[in-house]
This record gives sequence, structure tokens and C-alpha cells, in this order.
Amino acid sequence: MTVVPIRQRWASNPFSTRHVRPGSIAPLDVTGHPLDIPALVARLAALGGSAAIVGPHGSGKTTLLMTIADALEAQGGRVARVRLRESRDLVGLLRAIAACARGGTACVDSAERTGSIVGAGMRLAAWLVGARMLETAHRRGPSPTLFECATSARLLAAIVERLPCRSVEDAVSPVDVAAAFEASRGDIREALFLLYDRFERRARHPCREAGGGEADGASRVRS
Amino acid sequence: MTDGEDGGGTTRLGAPRVGVHFDHPDRTYAPQDSLTAAYEVEGVAVADIRAIERSVVWYTEGKGEEDLGVHHFDRLEGAAALRAALPAGSVSLRLPPSPLSYEGVVVKIRWCVRIRLFFAAGRDYVSEHVFDLGDVPPSRGTVERLA
Repeated sequence: MTVVPIRQRWASNPFSTRHVRPGSIAPLDVTGHPLDIPALVARLAALGGSAAIVGPHGSGKTTLLMTIADALEAQGGRVARVRLRESRDLVGLLRAIAACARGGTACVDSAERTGSIVGAGMRLAAWLVGARMLETAHRRGPSPTLFECATSARLLAAIVERLPCRSVEDAVSPVDVAAAFEASRGDIREALFLLYDRFERRARHPCREAGGGEADGASRVRS
Repeated sequence: MTDGEDGGGTTRLGAPRVGVHFDHPDRTYAPQDSLTAAYEVEGVAVADIRAIERSVVWYTEGKGEEDLGVHHFDRLEGAAALRAALPAGSVSLRLPPSPLSYEGVVVKIRWCVRIRLFFAAGRDYVSEHVFDLGDVPPSRGTVERLA
């Protein structure tokens, strides 16, 4: 049997879901700078609490949706999160709207999957019970647009810079990042998948714990 | 949300550190072995911690959705309990027969001791320390990549 050094064996791929899923990385704008979440929450309130986050595949809509949901909760708001992937998820959406009656916010990922007629019905149901809906969509629709997500190679580079594992810089170069962005046609999620594969193809090194603790695991601080 | 991910950078919490020492120096355990992990928390005042969670979990790591299983979990709060668990303490348990650790290209199964500190300021800090359950060889692709 081939013996693999212990610390390489446990090296975490910084592009794996646990490090790059929505909520793990702060939302960034197209220039790679953090978005002003309090300002977006204030804008959402100014829009009446219901709006859409618009953008193409892999542009950070879900990340922003989850971050705003967290911010609303931190302010004491009532929030329900729904991810629409198939028709039976509509039941979950109805439950979320009911749970958000009288002032709560249903945060609905991929709202356009409902179709325009059902979507209109859902918005009407939310309005009738006094629930707000913050949704993600690929294009502008009936809800006012809170933010339009866009991507750039600079944004992808900024995301990679923020990943938790130091070894990323050893295994993935800026040229790799730029190539992944191009190959994915600007889809950041797809680009991160490509970089996961790239990382797996290179020698991996262990993550280090903040401040020099044991070098086998990840650590993180959460608010 | 995560706002101060690891990577050797500083955090606004004064960079707590959690060191874990396993009773098996190679950190490899057979199914149903007993495990003892001694931990030590440094770099933060114990008085600033309002709770500690100590768990032993497995999770998958890869490009897709993740699975997670909690094998052991305890949460200690209150002055008396925290005095006994901080700044150092230990976790002892018997491991289950499965799932075995696995190092693949597409998916990995990892076991870890997880120490989570909750601060009075409302933030929390998570430190994970990986060990192996079983001795399943890495996938051929992984071996070639690491060679």
C-alpha cells in the first residue's frame, strides 16, 4: 500500500462545497470589493420589503440572498428560506409565505422556477397575508430589482484570495483562476468547480489553523 | 455567517487557538475503537466564553452537496461546567463501525473532533481536527496526485 503523508492526506480542498457554498464567502461586487449589506437592507426596506436579486447563473445571487436573510434575522426580523428546485418545493414556498405572514420575509432562491403564472400567484398570496418576498431571478421581472449581480475575472480572483486554506496559492495560480473564469464563461460557481479539479490535480498542502494551531483542520469565526 | 476564515490571518476575536492531542499519535482508529482527544484553548480569556460545544462528526467533502453525521455532541455552559472544560479538557468516546474515512478525488469522507467556542460578544469560533476511522486506501487518483 502506498503511504501518503498524514498532513497531505488530510489537506482540505479549498474549492470544496464547505468552503465556497453560499454563506461561506461574503458577497463581493464585480470589482471584488465587499457589498454594503446594511445599505442593501435599507434599500430593501425602502422598496417595501419585497424585491429581486437579479443575475446570470453563478453570479452570487444565492450568496447575497442568504447574507441579506442573515442580516434581516440579526435585526430581529422573521425570515424563511426556500430553495426552489422542483415542483414539490412549492409546498415549502407556501409554508414559508404563511410563516412570514404579517411582516416576515420569505427569501426565495430561484423564484422563476415557479413560472410566471404560479409566481404571480405566490406574490399575490404573500401580499394578501402581509408577507414580503425577496427572490433571486435570472432576469428582471415584476418585482423591483434590489441588486443586479455580475461577474468578472477580478471578482473570481478576490473570492479565491478569501478562501481559508493557504495552500491555494501553491496549487492554483492567477493564470489558472483567469483560465477558469474564461472556461466557465463567467459562471463563478462553475469556475470554482474547475478550480476544485485543478487543485486535486496538484500536490496539496495542509491548511493551517489561525495563529498557528495544529495544522490539520479548518477554523472559523462567525458572527 | 463566517467573517474571519482561517488561513493564518488575524481575527477580531484575538485569534483563539485550539490544539488537540489524540491518544493515537497517527490519528488512525479502527472501527469501534475508543478515542480520547485532549484539547487546549489558548489566546482568549476563558471569561469571554459563554459556552463550548465538543463534538465528533463525520462529513463528506467535494463539489456537491455535503452529508454530515454527528456521532458525539455535548454543550457546556454556566460557570461551573466551563471551569471544568476550559482552558483544557478532553473528549472520550467509542467510535462507530462506519462510515470509514475515505480520500477520493470526487468525494472524501472525513472524521473530526470539532471544538466550538461561543463568545459573550455573540460570535463563535470553530476548530476542526481531522482523524481517520479505518484504513481505507486513498483512491488511485489521489495517490498519484500526492506522490
